[in-house]
Order: sequence, then structure tokens, then C-alpha cells
Amino acid sequence: MEYFSLKRSNAADRGGHNLSSKVYVRSTKSGKVQKIVRELYLRKDIPCSSNLCRACLEIAPTDFGKKATPFVLSDTPAGSKDYPDGLYLVPDTNAFLSGMDLFEVETAFHDVIVLQTVLEEVKNRSLPLYHRLIALTKHEGKRFYVFFNEFRQETHVPRETGETINDRNDRAVRRAVQWYNEHITQAVKARSNKQTRIPTVVMITDDRDCLRKARAENIPSSTLADFVFGLENADELLDMMSAAQDQREVRSKKTELFYSEHYTISKMMTGVKAGILHQGIFNVSPYNYLEGSVHVPAFDKSLLVLGRENGNRAVSGDVVVVEILPQDQWKAPSTKIIEEETLNKNDNPEVEDGENIVSERERKALQEEVKRAHGQSSEGKPQPTARVVGIVKRNWRQYVGHIDRDSVRTTSKSTRQQQMVFLVPMDKRIPKIRIRTRQAGELLGQRILATIDSWDRDSRYPMGHFVRSLGELESKGAETEALLLEWDVQYKPFPKTVLDCLPAEGHDWKVPVSVDDPGWKGRKDLRDLLVCSIDPPGCVDIDDALHARKLPNGNFEVGVHIADVSHFVKPNNAMDKEASQRGTTVYLVDKRIDMLPMLLGTDLCSLKPYVERYAFSVLWEVTPDADIITSHFTKSVIRSREAFSYEQAQIRIDDVTQQDDLTEGMRTLLMLSKKLKQKRYDAGALNLASPEVKVQTESETSDPVDVQTKRLLDTNSLVEEFMLLANISVAAKNYEAFPQTALLRRHGAPPKTNFEELANQLKVKKGMELRTDTSKALADSLDTCVEPSEPFFNTLVRIMATRCMMSAEYFCAGTQAYPEFRHYGLASEIYTHFTSPIRRYADLEAHRQLAAAIDYEPLDASLHSKSKLEGVCKNINVRHRNAQMAGRASIEYYVGQALKGKDVTEDGFVMKVFSNGFVVFVPRFGIESLIRLRDLATPEPEAEFDAENYVLSVKGSVGRNVELFEKVRVRITDEVEGSTGKRKVKLTLV
Amino acid sequence: MAPAQPQQVNLSPAELSFLRSTLAQSPPIRFDHTKGPKDFRSMRAEYDVLPGANGSARIALEDGTEALVGVKAEVEKSQWRPALEERGSLLSVVAGDMEMRDADDEEDAKGKGQNSWIEMSVEIPGFRDDDPLPVFLASMLTESLLASGELKDTLYINSRFHWKLYIDILLLSPPLSYPLALLSMTTHLALLTSRLPALKSERDEDPLFDDDWDAAVFLYPKNNGKASAETPQDKPPVIVLAMAVGPNIIFDPCMEELAVADAVLAVACANAPSSTAGARIVSIRTIDPPSHLTPPGVPNSMNSATGGTVPASSAETLTQRELLATSGVWTPPRGGMKRALISQVVKMVAEKGGVAEEVISALQTIEFG
Repeated sequence: MEYFSLKRSNAADRGGHNLSSKVYVRSTKSGKVQKIVRELYLRKDIPCSSNLCRACLEIAPTDFGKKATPFVLSDTPAGSKDYPDGLYLVPDTNAFLSGMDLFEVETAFHDVIVLQTVLEEVKNRSLPLYHRLIALTKHEGKRFYVFFNEFRQETHVPRETGETINDRNDRAVRRAVQWYNEHITQAVKARSNKQTRIPTVVMITDDRDCLRKARAENIPSSTLADFVFGLENADELLDMMSAAQDQREVRSKKTELFYSEHYTISKMMTGVKAGILHQGIFNVSPYNYLEGSVHVPAFDKSLLVLGRENGNRAVSGDVVVVEILPQDQWKAPSTKIIEEETLNKNDNPEVEDGENIVSERERKALQEEVKRAHGQSSEGKPQPTARVVGIVKRNWRQYVGHIDRDSVRTTSKSTRQQQMVFLVPMDKRIPKIRIRTRQAGELLGQRILATIDSWDRDSRYPMGHFVRSLGELESKGAETEALLLEWDVQYKPFPKTVLDCLPAEGHDWKVPVSVDDPGWKGRKDLRDLLVCSIDPPGCVDIDDALHARKLPNGNFEVGVHIADVSHFVKPNNAMDKEASQRGTTVYLVDKRIDMLPMLLGTDLCSLKPYVERYAFSVLWEVTPDADIITSHFTKSVIRSREAFSYEQAQIRIDDVTQQDDLTEGMRTLLMLSKKLKQKRYDAGALNLASPEVKVQTESETSDPVDVQTKRLLDTNSLVEEFMLLANISVAAKNYEAFPQTALLRRHGAPPKTNFEELANQLKVKKGMELRTDTSKALADSLDTCVEPSEPFFNTLVRIMATRCMMSAEYFCAGTQAYPEFRHYGLASEIYTHFTSPIRRYADLEAHRQLAAAIDYEPLDASLHSKSKLEGVCKNINVRHRNAQMAGRASIEYYVGQALKGKDVTEDGFVMKVFSNGFVVFVPRFGIESLIRLRDLATPEPEAEFDAENYVLSVKGSVGRNVELFEKVRVRITDEVEGSTGKRKVKLTLV
Repeated sequence: MAPAQPQQVNLSPAELSFLRSTLAQSPPIRFDHTKGPKDFRSMRAEYDVLPGANGSARIALEDGTEALVGVKAEVEKSQWRPALEERGSLLSVVAGDMEMRDADDEEDAKGKGQNSWIEMSVEIPGFRDDDPLPVFLASMLTESLLASGELKDTLYINSRFHWKLYIDILLLSPPLSYPLALLSMTTHLALLTSRLPALKSERDEDPLFDDDWDAAVFLYPKNNGKASAETPQDKPPVIVLAMAVGPNIIFDPCMEELAVADAVLAVACANAPSSTAGARIVSIRTIDPPSHLTPPGVPNSMNSATGGTVPASSAETLTQRELLATSGVWTPPRGGMKRALISQVVKMVAEKGGVAEEVISALQTIEFG
């Protein structure tokens, strides 16, 4: 009887060892557990990619053009002391995990072979690091090559029985290094007999066992630290290694634990599903670093997490799982400012013997909090508190900060002794980071970028490592880069792939003269219209232009013309992807970080005056009462007659001698805009305020010279009204065409509880009533909050009300019910962003959807996919917020610089009262700052805090009451804040 | 039990008669005369043939019958059961197959398995899945699996989750002989080599498994090497087919032998809890042998062509045949099996060094070899 086995491997044996398989268990999200068998077809044509090798060049797979991908590794790699003939590096997984910052250094670590085994392990261990590694392999100068060792027959290593996965992978790495060495030696020999310089392929690993085995097998190997030691500027490089690993080794003997253990993933997930535990993002209060809050879907209000013990090593921004504490541990949110700097000044980063996670002083501060909470009735009701039991996802990023001077033992620049120092992050919500450095002396007084590596149970503060120095504290370059990094703004120049997407004509691009040109297809010729643009002075990226003219029937035709960016940025090319990543243009005081390359933003798309430009136009027929009769959307070609600044436009409108058609058009627009605005307010739109100031800079050096609050002219609101109208019209049209995938913007109605405190404050202090049932009620009651003697009071209330609101967000129509589309602030049923495609990605997407809605062009598939659009929305929401924050931080920095060395006295208003300080807002500079009790006098005066009446009575030599909403005179000086190293304005009561 | 329908043996009444008489004599001479009454047909077996399944096996007999079994396990949510406090009061209401649970013994899986956690399907070429043969085969195999009891308990993960086992049995050839024993042995081998992903989570958490397949645990845990003498490893049951011809008992009958069987017995047995006892019987079923359907020979006395007289009624025919039973003219056997014969079969199967132990240890060596 002939008997054939059904087993694949047996059959394959006859055909040679070109087939292998990999077996693993996969657990799916839905709870399925599957055994997965992946077949591996082993090949011989995977090149080594060394320019030394000719054999591989012949066998390398070719693309459709019969071209093999060019080889990566240099034929003359740099050498080192131990390997003078040059070396190729093969780091293992841990080397990348602990030294990614090292590998990114420009000056070292070239010619690196990234094994597939290692790449996959990195991917499993840390996705962010994986992305960084992928970015490195694409970096041309670094010469990182991904070698698919698992697919190459010679380097494939089948797992042996009883061997752990890690051991197998280590063996695979060693096997690959061994093969590479043999292969390179052969390749060099084949090239010429005379050549003696044969590069060595060196494995980089910190695994002792692996090193030992490598030595036994005669495979060149080295630890990462040893290798770095042989490089120039080794000190700086060594600091960049992750501290996670060596720390474990050093401290393994210690058993004292400060934090409770985190739950296992499965335990947390079970708890969350069962509703016993809750998952949310951990946020730390900017006023009190010991108070965190976690908003969880199960409750309206956030849960409080008080103290370090309960925070259990969560860092602001992490996704955590919390457990609610028993009711007797519930507390009121603090009314006290607690800053890490003041409490833990004397911590020693080196010695941790005998330390408690809650230092005595911290404990005392907390106790006082509890007492206060219990003594309060109305406002400070105890709130549910919670304890972090586990961390689902660390959202650690790179943090900007500076070295705490007190933590440095020796500041001498000559000693190369390694010491542990504290890095104080700029973001007050982030705890101090312990970093080990040999260059403490040099790093003092510098802005430093560092990351957190680990936070073990036996360490009070997280461990991290130095990444790089941004430059001197307070230097413009360092501070600007710092705030861009802090807000995760992508500020690197556009890569070549993006620039390749630009029109080949460059600045010479013109609207085609011939109307038969394909560019004209479907476009309306609106060049005859008297279009003009009105923007802030000095604006170069002109998104929008307007026109109005009287129609024979007495109505008006009004047009809003928006730069046709979607004509230049096609979906899914490199430029589109980059723009989608950036999400928005970021405006800093002295700098603009563009979403699109300059050529488009400031020239080809920009609706510059006197030249023809492609536009996307919205045309309405409007009655003299500003009622819309029809609206019409079309792609068009326009020629702007003039680019005004707000001020110029205002002057021109006000100048009665100007009677030309353009000015008349602008007057019509102004007239209509006022009516539109009134209608909006009647519908319940809010007139909110945020403190806006403008920093005037010297044009040459862009040093700040003065700070002004922004003036609002009629022309500002002229433009604004028509932009709102255009956005609303487009939103309705897009939603009609794509009810599932229209990209819209909503502004949720704020929960009532958000206004509770403000309403109470107004009632107690001013006897005013704030009604918050609807946006209309709110708008009306805000109008009544007026103090005749103090015109600014109303603005102050509006600023405070704004802070109670939710933030508006982009969303995809299919994800919400229609009533949820509402834009609360604008009192509009539906809204989107359409009018600034040069600086916002959302607008670009809206353009594409509108173009499809009017049958101008088919809609790209990516805009049909709800999930993809949701991803886009999520990203641009974050980018949008970050851009605002970065902008504000920039203004704050420049205000600080403008006030540098000055000493002025200004009016201010008390915005918030704590038990040991209060916040004052100075409208003149748009700054708000904390005045602590201890700033008033030394020693810190006693004070009594009446939380119900918002009065802080300061005793002692100061002897005065500070009330909420009180107008105070403050003296403004500047100082460098010790905790963040930022120059900040300092206020003192006069 | 319904007979295996179509596979009729093409033997003449004379051949059947000859075959029966050789099998009935002492000692019996089997159809394959090299074999003794306890000898099994030679077979080839291999396991882990289906890479994607949790366990699999394939056995081919020398007559060309061949079976393939795949075992797949899926995590399933258990049905809600009342919490411990409530259980006492609810127990009377809950359906009968709810076992009593030891309240303070939460982690023990014993007695928590449910019959519905094992699903078996038998596929035989040429048969619909609701034809009697596959249905009966499946139910007999399931019955023996469940009867031994331990298997379903190993499927218990925690109070909220369990493994659901799908055993897919495929006969690759037409059912030449009654395929029960073959399917059972193949299933045995497949289950013996089946593995479940290793559990990482604890107690009542949502289950989380080790993603390393090498860490997966055997459904029937192996005790390492030689220590097995003391506590024998728990193994799936195996069904042995025995038939009686006259006073003789013949194991593993081939198709032709079945055609003359007086009675056929399917004995399911598992290894005994202690090594000294041989094997324990899990279940026994009689099977209607195909010999009942064979055409009877016509004796000369009843054949008009040879000068006999055709009986007038069928009752008369029967009477006449009864009388001729020992004459050598083929008459399909009638009636069941004698009690003494059954106990003899049971003894031969279950005794120490008996057929069952032999089969189980033979299958075991396949796996080790």
C-alpha cells in the first residue's frame, strides 16, 4: 500500500528546504482565539544590500522597470578602534528600545542592518519606536537597511522544541550576523584579491547570555554602551540611552516599593467591561500637581485622583483604569495651589533611601485639603475620588524642561562623573524626571528635551534619559522649538516627496489663457466681478475674497470666493498626507508653520490681488434685509481687484469721497453683514471673548517691542459674517449630498454643571443671574452682566464663560444624530469649515466634498470611508487644539520678553481665588497670573479664606481682603520661573 | 441500531455459508487467515496533519478505508448561571442537568463541564449529514466521549467562559466495513494530540491567552515520561468492535466477516484509573450486523427447479429454514447476542492486557514515535 503523508513539511522535504511555517495564537478583539499558521516561503534572492557585493546585485528582485532598488549600505563604512576595517551594525531589539535616540543621531550610527526579526519585535514592544525606526530606514543619509532574514533561506532559523521565542530570536540575530560576515567576506574576495579591508558585521546587544553565546560562536558582538564608548562625544551619547534597563539591574536588590502594583490587562478589561473599574485619560490639574482627574464615560463629572499614591505612577495624558474609592475618602477639589517645586525642593535624586512616596510636607498639604473639604457645604461638596489601578496606554512623549540646579551635585564641567539629576518639565503637570548624565555642568541653564523610560514601583519619580539640548534657556530659538515640541507641532521642512507634488511651473504658474484648457473645465469665468480681499495686515496666505453687486430686481448678489486648494492638492498624494498630518497652519508671534508648502500657500492658491486665480465660489442672491433667496456653488476663476487690511478697508468705506463700484460693493457687504450678525444674535449666537493681544515685533530682529490688545473693526465682522454664512451653506450642501460622510463641525452644548460655579460666583458677588438653559438665554443673560462703572467687567465675564464651554470639534456626519450637529456658539444647526483651505485641512476636505456634491469631480474613495474620515477628524481636532495652545504659548513668551526689565503698574481683575493665592487677569497685556500669599509678604501672611463668598482676607502687614471680580492695581515685573525656567511676568499687588 | 445501508457484500449464499463455518469452528479461521481472532487489521496513522487545527489525526486501514479527524476549539461565553448565594434557592427550578457545585471550591473545574461544549460531525462520502449512518456514528462517538466525563471538564475556563470543541470527522473513503472503530481510533489520536492555548489570565477575568503556540497545553495532559506508572495519564475513550460467530468472538471484523456475524458489539473503553486494572468500559452498544440483510440461500428442498416444493406461505418458509439452520445452506442469522457472550466480550476487552489496553497503548506509541 502506497501511503502518502498529508503533512506539508514531509512533502516539502523532497523539494528542498524552501518552506517553513510559523505557528502562533491570535486573540481577536471579539474574544476569539485562533491558532494561526503562516507559511514562509524561503528565498535566495533577498540581497544583502551592501555596495561591496556584486552577487546580490545580480539576484536582487527588480521592479517593473527592470531596476533593482539601489543598495543601501556603504562600501566604505566607518570604522572604530576595535574594528578599523569598518563595520556594519546589527542591533538587537533591546538596543533599539533603549537607544532609539542614539540611532537617530546624525553624526554616528550609519550603515545599520535592521533585521526583520528585530523590526517585528520592536513593533510588538512599542509602536512609537517602531515608527521612528521605520522613519530611520527611509532616511537616506543614515543608511539603515531592513534585511528580511526570516525569508532568506540561509538565515531562517526554525524554532527548536523547548526553545523560548526570545532565545530563538536571539539565535536568529546571531545567525544573520554570522551569515552577513561570511557573505561580506566572500563578496570582498570576489571583487578583488588585493583588497584587504573587509568590514565586520557587529551585533549590538545588551543581553549577557546572547553576548556569551556570540563569543562562543565567534560572532563579533558588543554591548551598546561599550560601542558608544568608543565613539566621539561619547558622554553626550551615553546620556541618550534609555535608563529603563540599567536601572533595573542596579536596583534589583532593593525591595522597598512605593506604589501598589498595576492590575493585569485582563483583570482591568474584565473590570471595565463589568463596570466596576473605569477607563479614561488621566489629567493633572495645572494648579495642583497632586490632584488629577479622570473623565470616564460612566459619569458626567470627572473623578478626582488625589495624591501620588492614588495616581500610582500615571503621568498626565496616560490612558488609565481607575477604581472608585469608598465614600469616606471622597473629597472636594482643592482650593489651594500646590506646586511641586515648593514642596519637594530638597529631594535628592541620587539617594532614595528612606523616602516615602508621600513626603511629610505633601501629606500635610493633603490633610489640610481634607479638612477644608469636610468643612464646606455648598460649593465644595465632596466629590467621588478614585485610585489608578492600572495603565492601559502610556502616552509618554518627549518632554521639554531644564535641569534642576539644586539636584546637581557638582557643576564642574570637567568631571565626567555620571550623576543623577532632576529634569523639571516645562509642563507643570508632568512630574520631575530623574535622568542620569555625565554632562550635568553643561546642561545647566539649557532647554533640554528628554523622555520618560520607566516608572518602577520602587521609584518615586520616573526615570528618563536625555535626548538633546535645544539651546540656552530663554534664547528665542530654543524657546520656540521648545513650545513646538511641547505642542507636537511638526516643524521640519517639507520632505522632497511633498515638494515633488507641486506644479512644475513653480511661481510661474498661471491660470491658462485659453478657456479650452482642461483647467477651465467646469469653471465659471468670474473675472469681471469686482472682488477684493480683506485680511489682517501683512497677510500673505489669502484664503478668501468677497464681492457684492446690486441686481436689477433690487436684491444683491454676494459672492465669497475661496482659494481653490483642492485643485493643487490631490487626495492621497504625499502632499495631501503631509497636510493631513499637520492638520493646520500654526501661527506663532514671529513664525508661521505652514500646512502646505509656501509656493501654494502664499502664491498659487493665495487670492492675491491683480492676478487671476482659481477659486471655489459661493454665490447668493440676498434681499436688502439679508434674507437668502438662492445659493449657488461653483468652481471659478477670479481676479481680485485689491487686497485690503481691515483698517484700510474701514478707511475706504468710511471715506465718503470714494464712490467707485468696488467701495460701493464693500459698503453693501458691510450693510448686509450687520443685518446677518443681528439675525445670528437673535437666534441665540454667543458673543464670546478671549483675551487677544498682539505683540508688535521689530521687523528685522523680530524682537518684541510692544504689546497691544487687538482692536476689532466693523470690517473684521464683515468678513467673519460672510465666512460663517459660506460655511453654513456649504455644510448644508455637503450634508445633503453625503449624509454619512460629510465632514462637519459641531459645538456641543456645555453641560449645565460647567456653568454652576460661574453662575454662583456672579450671584454671590454681583447679584447677577446667569441663565444657561439655551444659548439664547445665555447670550441674553451675558448681556445683562454689566457694571456701569467698569466697562471691562462684561468682557471678563465673557472670558470666564468661554472657559466653561466645550471645545468645538470636527466630526463625520454619520457618527452623530442630526440634533447633535448643532453649533452651540454660533446657534447654527449645521456648520463646517470651508473658508480657509490654505491653513486648515478640514476645509480642504470640505472643498473636495463640495466639488463632488456639485458634480465637478468624483469623490475620492478616502472621503467615502467613514472610518478614514473619523481618523482624519480625530487628528485635526488634536492638531487644531495644539496649534491654538502653541500660539498662545508663543504670545505668552513674547509678552514676557516685551516686558523684560520693565516695571509697570496696571489694572487687573481677580478671576479666581484660592485659599493661598488668587489669579489676576490684566487686560492690557492679556495676561493672567497667580499671586500667592507668600508673594505678598515674607513671611507668608496668615489668611482666611471664605470659600462661599470668594473672599480671601489677608492678615498681618498686608491686611486687606481680596475678592473675586475685584479690580486691583498690580505691579508687573518679570522673573524667570524656577520651576519651568520660563520667563514669566510676575504680578504683585500694589 | 439501524444497519449500514448500502454497502452490501457481493458474496453468494454458498460463500457466506462457507465463511461462517470457518469463523465458527474452533479455532476460527478468519477471512484473512493470517490473523487470530483478537488481531486488528494493520493500519497507518499520523497526527498533526492539519496545521490550522488544534489537533488532528489520520488513520488508513489496509483495505483502503481512511479517516481524517480535526479538532478545533473556540472560546465561548458560558450561559449565565445564578451566583453562589442565589443558587441554593434556585436549584430546584433549574433544569436537571445543572450539577450541584461545591461552593467553596471555586477554582476546581470538576463537574462544571456541559455536554453541549462538544460538538461532533461525521461526514461520509455519499451520505447526507442527516442520513442515519453518520448521525448514529456521531452520537455513538459523542456518547463515549461524554461518558468518560473528564473531557468536558477540561473545557472549563472560568465561570463565564469555556472552550467549545468542534470535532470534525471525515471518512475519506466509502464505508467499506462498519467504520465506527476506525473513526473512534482516529478521534482518539486527534484528541490525544490536541492542544489548547495556554491561559494567562486568572480566575473570572476575561480569558487572555499566551500567543506562543508552543506553550499551548494538551487537552489530555501528559505526565512526563516514566512517572506514568503510578498515575496513568487520562486518555480519550476508544471504541472496539467485536462480533460473535457461533461461540467465537472476533475483534475488528472486516467487511466480509461482518456479513456473516451473529451479533456485533461496540464497546467503548477508556484507560482505567489505576494501571493494574486494564481498562474500564465506558459504554456498550449492539449493532445490527449487515448479515441480517444478506439474501438467504435456497435449499434444494425449497427449490422447485431441483425437485423441491416452494413453501406456500412465508411463515412456512421460516419454519423450514429454522430446521435447515445447521445444514450448511446460508440463512441470515436472527436474534441477538447471548448474555454469556457479552460478558465474555467485556472481559476480553477490559481485562489487564486486554484488547482495549492494547489499542490504547498502540495509539499512544504512534504519538510518541
